[in-house]
This record gives sequence, C-alpha cells and structure tokens, in this order.
Amino acid sequence: MILKIAFRNTFRQKRRTILTALAMVVGFALLSLTIGLSDGAYGGIIEMFTRNRTGHIQVHREGYLDKPSLYKTIDNPSAVGETIQNTARVEAWTQRVYGAGLGSVGEKSTAVQIVGVDVAREIQATRFDNKVIEGSVLAEIASHEAVIGKGLAKILSAEIGDEIVIVSQGADGSIANDVYKIVGIAESGDDITDRVVCYLHIEDAQELFVLAGRAHEIVVIVSNINWVDKVTSAIETRLNNPTLDVAPWQVVAKSFYRAMKTDQQGDAISRWVIILIVAMGVLNTVLMSVLERTREYGVLKAVGTKPGQIFWLVVWEVVIIALGSICVGALLGVLINYLFSIYGITYPEEITYGGMKFKTMYAEVNIRCLIIPAITVMLSAVIVSLFPAVKAARIMPAKAMRTH
Amino acid sequence: MEQAQKTDVIVTAGVTKVYEADGVPVNALNGVDLTIRSGEFTALVGPSGSGKTTFLNIISGLDSPTEGSVWLAGKVLSEMSGNELSDFRRDNIGFVFQAYNLIPVLTVEENVEYIMLLAGVSKAERHDRVIVMLEAVGLEGVADRTPTQLSGGQQQRVAIARAMVSEPQIILADEPTANLDSKTGADLLEMMRHLNVETGMTFIFSTHDPMVMEGATRLITLRDGQIDTDETR
Repeated sequence: MILKIAFRNTFRQKRRTILTALAMVVGFALLSLTIGLSDGAYGGIIEMFTRNRTGHIQVHREGYLDKPSLYKTIDNPSAVGETIQNTARVEAWTQRVYGAGLGSVGEKSTAVQIVGVDVAREIQATRFDNKVIEGSVLAEIASHEAVIGKGLAKILSAEIGDEIVIVSQGADGSIANDVYKIVGIAESGDDITDRVVCYLHIEDAQELFVLAGRAHEIVVIVSNINWVDKVTSAIETRLNNPTLDVAPWQVVAKSFYRAMKTDQQGDAISRWVIILIVAMGVLNTVLMSVLERTREYGVLKAVGTKPGQIFWLVVWEVVIIALGSICVGALLGVLINYLFSIYGITYPEEITYGGMKFKTMYAEVNIRCLIIPAITVMLSAVIVSLFPAVKAARIMPAKAMRTH
Repeated sequence: MEQAQKTDVIVTAGVTKVYEADGVPVNALNGVDLTIRSGEFTALVGPSGSGKTTFLNIISGLDSPTEGSVWLAGKVLSEMSGNELSDFRRDNIGFVFQAYNLIPVLTVEENVEYIMLLAGVSKAERHDRVIVMLEAVGLEGVADRTPTQLSGGQQQRVAIARAMVSEPQIILADEPTANLDSKTGADLLEMMRHLNVETGMTFIFSTHDPMVMEGATRLITLRDGQIDTDETR
C-alpha cells in the first residue's frame, strides 16, 4: 500500500514530478555523454596508439623492455609468432628488429633508429601502409629499400629515389653499413619518432645487424582491446618460455597509460559537478513535496502508519521518479552518444595528444554510458531523499495536522 | 494511581500542556484528571482555546503532555516508542477529524481498508469488512471513487468507516460535524450513536455543536485548560 501511495503521489503534482524527472533525465544524458565522449576519445587515442605503434601486446626477450639491447633477441620469432597466432582472439602478429645508427644522405648525416619490419605482417597488424604519405611501401621481399620518417627526410633533405647510407654496429661486433634506396616517406603522427625513424625490410635489418633469424619484438593485435589481459595470460601459458616477457600495452607504454589515466580522472570532476546539480534539484523538489504534505504525513501517522513506513513512502516516491527518468535518460543518452559517435565533435584546429594528432572527437556507445549514470542518478536521488524522508518520518502528528 | 481499572479505557492524571507561542508560554491544559469508561458517548465542550483538541491529541498519543500521565487501555502512553505508539493507535483508536483527512490518492475502499492493511488483515477479510462498513455508513456504490469525488458529508462517512472498520476500543472525533450541514450532521451522529449502542465502542467528541452535546451520555466542559463541569446523563 505504501508503494501504491508513493506511485500515485508522483502523479499528484505533475509539474513538480516533471521538473524533478527533467533534472534527472538531463543529468543522466549529460553524464552519459561525458562518459561516451571520454571513452570515445580515449578509446580512439588508445586504439590509434596501439594499432599504429605498440600493438596490443608485445613479446620480448626477458629484460628487453627495461633495458633494450641489440643482443636481447627472440630466437626463431616465426615459430613464436605462429604459436601466438593460434591463441584465441589474436587477430594478427608481426616481428620487428630495432637498432640505432648513423644515417647519411649526400653530405647530411644524423642519428637514426632503424626498425626492421615484416612488411606483409606489419601492414596487416599496424596498417604500416597508411603511414606512408609519399612514395610507396617497402617491397614484401627484401630489396634494400628504406622508408624514412617525414622529419628525418627534412633533416637529411632526402627525397624519394635518394639513397641513404646506414652505419652501425653488428651483433657480432663488426661494422655494419649498407646503402638503401628511399622509396617512401612516413608519418606516424608522432613528430619525435618521425625525426629519427628509418624502416627497412626485416631481412635487410637482420643482415645489417647480423641477426639472421632473430627479432627484438613481436607485436600482437587482438580482435578487441578489452580482451588484452586475458589474451596476454593465454599467450604466456601457450609460450611457456621463461626467457620471454609477454606484456600488454599498458606495461609497454607505461607513461602513456599513466597520462591517460590521469586525464580520465580529471573528467570525474565534471561528473561530480553534474551529480551535484541533479542532487540539488531533486533535494529542492522533494523537500517542497514533504513540506506540502506535512499534514498528510501527520494523518498517516495518526492512523497507525509507522515512522519507517513514512520514511519509505518518501524514498519510494523519489525512486519511482528516478526509475522513470533513468529509462528516458537511457534512451536519450544512447541517442546522443550514437549521434556523436557518427558525427563527432570537430575542433577548430588539430590537437595533439600522446604524440598523435586529432581533429575530431567521437563518442562511444557502451554499457558504461548507461550503467554509471543509472547508478549515479539513482544513488544521488536516494541520498538526497534521505533527509526529507527522515524529516517526514519524525513529524509529530498533532503538530503536522495543524499545518495547512 | 497504580493501575487503571478494567472498565476504565482512558485515565489521565495531572495532564498539563504548555505551548510556546511567539516565545510566550501558553497553558493549553492545566492538570486535567479524568477517567473515561468503556462504552461512554462523551462530548468535550468549551469555548475555542479551552483545550479540547489538545486533550484529544494527548489522550491518543498524537501529542505528549508537558506534565502528567495518560493511561489508555491499560498502557502508559509516555512509556511507548514511536513504533509502539503507531501500533497501539492502529489497534485501539479510530480517528474522525474535522477536515476528514482522507488519503487523496486512495479510493474510498482503499482508505477504509488502509488501517487493516497496516495490521496485516488478509485481503479477503479486508474486502468483506469494507463492504459491511460502507453499507453501515450508507456509502454503497462509491467504493471506487476518490475523496475528491465525494461531498463533505460522504467524506466524513468514509472517515467514520475508516475509524471503525478495525473495531477499535475508542473513537476520538474532533468536531466531526463542524463542516457538515445540520441534516448530514444529525444523520452521522445518529449513525455513531447506533454503532456505540450496537458495538459498545467508546466515543469521545470535541464539539461546539449543540446537537452532539444533546446526544452525548456524558458532557465534560473544559475551560482554560481545566475541567469545569462533568455531567453524566
């Protein structure tokens, strides 16, 4: 009966109920949009970062991540890669060789980072071909070709068709040097990388550094980034090799991950502001309602309704409005997030985050956009209803019935 | 006063109530000693401000006295917690208010059955008792209406039905005929007198209505918060 009275009470003052519900619906939709945009933006950045650079999971020789070295290599990387490929939810893998050296074009020289890539696999895994903004991608078979970063090309005044001489040190201690034809200019989105990177075919890089059949890194792409932790464990179990480290992107790119986390925590402030606005609106209308019905609560108590039942009457009323508001808010939130996931928000100028450039921020429609606002709206509504509910429950019947 | 006698349903001893009105203490009741026995049809009369409503509120536990004690059906009200008082009122007292005070969002049937529902009476029994009670107060056929769809007299009948349906020992009525025309008031008074005779329930009214005073078997006059006269007929 208390629930019935609460339900019918919500229709008594329709305008006030609509105002309360409106505060909750708008609060829900705003929270949902904030989360959707945050998840969409950070999801996009993470996806771009991992897809273009680190991959979702990396495998290295033990200790390589802490202290990279030419000599810390994975033996028989193709066999390791095949084992990884057979792990559930692994979409693609590729292997890389890293080394540092001196690059010269004509009379200009500078320090370069050589990245030996398995071209066909790199295209499949990290969309390597999309990075090449001028010229062509490396041939799929080793042909002594190089693709250099945009910034490096500028430093060396290099153009497509020029030759780049690389001088370094081989893993056997010999002087490593060779000449490669520049076939393409690449832009990764990270200016620092683009100022030093020189991509070679992995076999050319292995030959240069005398690392035949070895690689420094295996990059793994999983079909859904949310499964990274599970797939990491599965790969570890499958490889069962104590000399290899399997690390998810959060470990590989620690500082990037921390920066993302800190930024996301910053977003929580805006959420609290929204919650506060909703809570104040609800508190105000519920207090008004309790004040207006003081006499009625007095009568209910007089005829035998217990203080606890009066308390729940007030709380139920708010919960009923909150439930209705959550349903409407959920529809609105999904719709707004869906629209922003298609059209996005375009900045007047390109912004750079984590070395990557963006012009448009897209929202994401996910379960968090519904669950978090729903819990938040319900909890804040219930919390702010507690004070009026206690006030109503403690009413002295005789005094309450004297009010008009 | 060690214990209330068996037939004494209400006993007050030295009941005093002092209100603060704009910081000034006002004595609404001033040491009232009174015993009401079961089956009495009592009218509390007196000028406005004499303490009639305050006295009704205090003997029903809706308000607490500043001093003195109230025994109701053998229980000391001041010793009860909020929940115990609610249960006690639900099981022992029926209220009829001047302004009817029905629950506006409930239908007539739901208003009448509300107290039984609080007491945990089964649905079938509630329904049967509501039908009988509405018939007794002459409100057959309006069970599905809301209070706003009824006249003042009809609303007061619903209030009486609500007060009596759970068969409490005592009915307290605060100016029950004040908002009614004289014919409706007379009908209601007749009905309550009939129920009093039939069921033996104790009725206590506060009233200004000469008709109610005339029908009462005991007439208590309050003046300045004290009993001025107490006449049994």
